[in-house]
Amino acid sequence: SQPLAGHQAAELQSKVVPSKQILHSDNMEMEPETMETKSVTEYFSKLHMGSLVYSCTSKRKNK
Amino acid sequence: RMEASCLELALEGERLCKAGDCRAGVSFFEAAVQVGTEDLKTLSAIYSQLGNAYFYLHEYTKALEYHHHDLTLARTIGDLLGEAKASGNLGNTLKVLGNFEEAIVCCQRHLDISRELNDKVGEARALYNLGNVYHSKGKNVANAGTHDPGELPEDVKNALQKAANYYEENLTIVTELGDRAAQGRAFGNLGNTRYLLGDFRSAVLAHEQRLLIAKEFGDRSAERRAYSNLGNAYIFLGEFETAAEYYKRTLQLARQLQDRAVEAQACYSLGNTYTLLQDYEKAIDYHLKHLVIAQELNDKIGEGRACWSLGNAYTALGNHDQAMHFAERHLEISREVGDRSGELTARLNLSDLQMVLGLSYSTNNSMMAECHVVENSFNGTRPRAGRRHSMENMELMKLTPEKVQNWN
Repeated sequence: SQPLAGHQAAELQSKVVPSKQILHSDNMEMEPETMETKSVTEYFSKLHMGSLVYSCTSKRKNK
Repeated sequence: RMEASCLELALEGERLCKAGDCRAGVSFFEAAVQVGTEDLKTLSAIYSQLGNAYFYLHEYTKALEYHHHDLTLARTIGDLLGEAKASGNLGNTLKVLGNFEEAIVCCQRHLDISRELNDKVGEARALYNLGNVYHSKGKNVANAGTHDPGELPEDVKNALQKAANYYEENLTIVTELGDRAAQGRAFGNLGNTRYLLGDFRSAVLAHEQRLLIAKEFGDRSAERRAYSNLGNAYIFLGEFETAAEYYKRTLQLARQLQDRAVEAQACYSLGNTYTLLQDYEKAIDYHLKHLVIAQELNDKIGEGRACWSLGNAYTALGNHDQAMHFAERHLEISREVGDRSGELTARLNLSDLQMVLGLSYSTNNSMMAECHVVENSFNGTRPRAGRRHSMENMELMKLTPEKVQNWN
C-alpha cells in the first residue's frame, strides 16, 4: 500500500482544487442605478421666468 | 432679495453637480435650504438634487432624508410627476440600504403614477428600478447561504425571476423608444439575473448584447463589465478557456482605465480560472499579481484571499514550503481582520500541510525520497531544515482519526 505521507499529500492536493464556487464570490458587475432628476433651472424656464434667472446669473458674473 | 439668493445658491449647486463636484454642490444646496424659499417647487427640486448628490457620495442615510422631504413636499403641493420621481429615488435609496420591502412599495408607486400619466419613459425607468430591487433582494438572501447559482431556495428564485420579468418588460418599452443606453443597462442586469438563476446560456446572450451596445457608445467601463460577466458565465458552462479569454480582456481594459481594484479582481479571476484549468504556474502568476495590488491598496481581505489561493496552488504543485508560507500569512491576516472562518480554514490548511511536511521529512522510505526530489525541482530551494525538525515530533501526534475526518 501507499506510504501514509504520500497518500496524505495526494489527498491534500486533490482537496485544494477549487470548485467553481470560489469564483462566484462577489465579482458580479452590475449596471448603474438611474436616479430621477429635478432641476431649478428647468422649472424656471418652464415658468417663463428667464428674466429672473438672467438677473441672477448676470449678478453672479458681476461679482 | 432672499428669494433670489436661495435661487442663486441652488443654481450654483446644480452647476457644480453637473460638473461632477457633488461635494461642493451639496454645500451650495444646503446653503440654499438654510436661506429658504416660499416656492415649494423650487424647494422640492433642491431636496431632490441634495438626495441624489448624497446618493452619489454613498451617504445613503442623508440621501434617504432628503428624498423623503421631497416626497412629502411633492404630495403636499399635489405634484404627481414630482411624487413619482421622489418615490423612485426613495426606492433606489432604500434598496441600497437593504430595506427591500419598502423599496418595492416606492418603486411600485413610481410605476403606477407613470402609467397613470401615460409617461412611457418614467414607466420604463420604474420597471428597471423594480428589477434592481428584486435582484438585490434575491442576491441578499442567496448570500446568506452557500450554493452555486442555479441551486437556490424558493424565495430567492422567486425574487430573481421577478427581477428578470421586470427587466424584460423594461426592454420591451426602451426598445420601442429606441433608447439604446437603457437597453444596455437592462441587458447587463438581466444577464446577471439569469446567471444567478443558473441559466448561463441566456446570461451569455444578454451580456453579448450588452457588449455590443457598450461598443456602440465607446463606453469602455460597460465593455469591461460585459467581459467580466461573460467570463463568469463561461466558468459555469465549464468553458474555462473562453472564460480566461474574457477575463484577459477585462484585465486589459482595467489597465487602460487605470482602475487598480478592478485589475486586482481580474487577476484573481484569472488565477482561479487557471486553477480550474490545472495550470498552477499561471494561476500562481496571477494570484501574485493580485496580491501585490491588494497590498498596494491596503485591502487586507483581498490579501488574505490571495494568500489562501496561493497556498492552495502551491499545495497542488507539491511545493509545501511555499504553501506553508502563504497559509501562515493567511492565518495572520484572518486574525487581523477578525475573519473567523478564514482563520479556521487557515488552521486546517496549516495542520494538513504540517502533517504532510512532518511525515515526508521524517520518513526514510524511497517513496518519500522521490517526493523530495519532485518538490525541490519545483521549488528551486532547499526545504527549510529548522521548521522540519521542529515539526517532526508534534505532527505525528496530530494524526488522530478526528483530524483525518476533517480532510474530506
